[in-house]
Amino acid sequence: MEKIVIIRYAEIHLKGKNRGYFERVFSVNLERALRGLRHELRRTSGRYLVEAFDEEELDEICGRVSRVFGVHSYSVGYKVASEMEAIFQAVKSVAPAEGTFKVETHRADKKFPLTSMQLNAQIGGKLLAEFGGLKVDVHTPAAYVYLDVRENGTTLVFGAFLKGSGGMPVGTSGKGMLLISGGIDSPVAGYYMAKRGMTVECLHFHSYPYTNEQAKEKVVELSRILSRYSGVGVLRTVSVTRIQEAIHEKCAADLMITLLRRFMYRIAERIAKQNGCQCLITGESLGQVASQTIEGISSSNAVVTLPVLRPLIGFDKEEIIARSQAMGAYETSVLPFEDCCTVFLPEFPAIKPKPSYILEEEAKLDVEGLINEALATLEKITL
Amino acid sequence: MIYLDNAATTRPNENAVRRAGIFLTERYFNPSALYGGGFAVNGELAAGKKFLLSRIADPIDYDITITSCGTEADNHALFCCGKRGNIVTTEGEHAAVFACAQELKNRGIEVRFARLKEDGSVDEEHLLSLIDEKTSLVSVIHVNNETGAINRIAELSKRVKAKNPRAVFHSDGVQAYGKIPVKLNKEIDLYAVSAHKIGGLKGTGALIRKKSLPLAPYIFGGGQENGKRSGTENVFGIMTFYYAAEEKFARLKEEQKEVERLREEVWGALDRTLFTRLSPQDGTPYILTVSAEGLRGEVLQRMLYDNGLAVGTGSACSSKHRYSRVMTACGYGERVLDGVLRLSFSPQNTREEGLRAAKILNETANKLKEKTAD
Repeated sequence: MEKIVIIRYAEIHLKGKNRGYFERVFSVNLERALRGLRHELRRTSGRYLVEAFDEEELDEICGRVSRVFGVHSYSVGYKVASEMEAIFQAVKSVAPAEGTFKVETHRADKKFPLTSMQLNAQIGGKLLAEFGGLKVDVHTPAAYVYLDVRENGTTLVFGAFLKGSGGMPVGTSGKGMLLISGGIDSPVAGYYMAKRGMTVECLHFHSYPYTNEQAKEKVVELSRILSRYSGVGVLRTVSVTRIQEAIHEKCAADLMITLLRRFMYRIAERIAKQNGCQCLITGESLGQVASQTIEGISSSNAVVTLPVLRPLIGFDKEEIIARSQAMGAYETSVLPFEDCCTVFLPEFPAIKPKPSYILEEEAKLDVEGLINEALATLEKITL
Repeated sequence: MIYLDNAATTRPNENAVRRAGIFLTERYFNPSALYGGGFAVNGELAAGKKFLLSRIADPIDYDITITSCGTEADNHALFCCGKRGNIVTTEGEHAAVFACAQELKNRGIEVRFARLKEDGSVDEEHLLSLIDEKTSLVSVIHVNNETGAINRIAELSKRVKAKNPRAVFHSDGVQAYGKIPVKLNKEIDLYAVSAHKIGGLKGTGALIRKKSLPLAPYIFGGGQENGKRSGTENVFGIMTFYYAAEEKFARLKEEQKEVERLREEVWGALDRTLFTRLSPQDGTPYILTVSAEGLRGEVLQRMLYDNGLAVGTGSACSSKHRYSRVMTACGYGERVLDGVLRLSFSPQNTREEGLRAAKILNETANKLKEKTAD
């Protein structure tokens, strides 16, 4: 009995004439997710099969498949010869030991001696005879046993449907540049954009030596975790140390964050355009901190022309944390390394800065010169 | 790179590593093996351990249990002796003891912490006032690893035993062993030491025990270390510890004087408008803790490293938290706590290095001050 994994996809069937394109991207993404593991991936009537893998890697395969966007559900099953006894042996491995169940057969091989209905009845009968605690319920069963009798003389047998990540295949919705900090929110924001099919590249601003190497390592790790979903292993870093020092020296203390964010957006937009990204992505959530008021958001938006997508804008912290935990980023996000140095944090940041005040203070700086100085520190890390 | 973080760890003694190399390449036998090769290695270990012990205690009255590190030795002492009544320790303990005390508290043992004086040494009168007939264990760090202050454990242990003869007296001697003269008096029951602070390797420590004190094992298994600490012996680590200690103890007093001279020269060359001295004059010469008041020690530390000087900020093990727990307990304000830097020396540091280090410290602190001034 050879183990297999059956993968079903979400939403792609909605795509009409583009369906072929979406399917191609999806299968490329599945292949990329399974890279490094022995396997064969093939498409059969509306779903994908992973076969010929090493059984001890089943959990790894399922984990990777479950993180690929576009996967609606998947099942672990068996591939056996289309013979009654072999089929029943496999059925016993996937069927529950008690409770209600139903057998469903899809028979592509019309030469198989039994019809779908007959096969359902016979397999169901054998199961009832073997396990006393089972009952058939054809309307609302607690468990299903699926049989897929294929034309090549083999039958696929599988049980429970396990939930995939849903969403759209990454790469079908353009490319965005995620501003990633070491916190909880930004990796989650990247996750949601990738879920809608966007390719997400990461950009991190640090201010070494005011922030430390561990904080940067943490961002590398978070980007790596995100890349398990987004499939893109690129992180760029830029130092904003000189910018922070210049703001500290020349401008009003309460605008440190406001002005710094305007610099970050400008730098991000330039790097985004150089790399074919069509938007910026941030983890902002309305009102979460002083800079995430509508006034704060407007002041940063004002310096860029690319759209800035903020998938978490209406999320509560708790919701963000729940997703962060589910995607496996939370433990890393809460490591206690400052990603922003408290040396420069004002005691009372401006919560609703007026545009005229911002422009007045910003005019004290050589904006273009500082941007170029920061861009010179650009580093690219392949994850 | 000028390395002034020797209290965090020292460069392994190359000579000791070379001498011990034979236990990796040729004499790799398990010391418990009953054939000649294993038996002979066991004999070498016994000689090494006897040396390590006899430098600070009488092997007739004390024995030594090799552990994986100083922290394990402290854990062994606290968890095997702090089982009832209350335990008394200080606010100046290294995390290896402090975290055990916190855990014992969680397990329902009353833990009493004695206050510190400004230099980081324990307030002896306060400590003694905390001891009563129910005290099962007293743990006092010998040399404070953050300020270098020396606790007078000989006197303290006598006064503790006078108040409660049944209380076990333990001391964490990691920053003292092989650096300052130590002789365990009979009132000291347990003493934890570490190899990598004196040219040995990370991964080797020891717990020295007065034989009359019954001590349960902390790690169980094949019965090595007289049943006190099972696990196949780290022969290479132990032998390196032995050879490194041989050299340290042979020159302990000379080196102590040399290092003290170095410490004072470095302090003399530091800009007093930038740095305040926190280490006491009579502390270990190996540690000079200063504060660049109002500056961030951690930022300064990174800038210094980029300029070729490695120093510590408080305790390397507790750098996650903004302020050092121990330095806070000394009673300093936030501006002082922010700027704490620990310079720690080795006899290998030259005078020239010390003066160059002071110059780098002055210049870097000055630069940071200009950039982050309010």
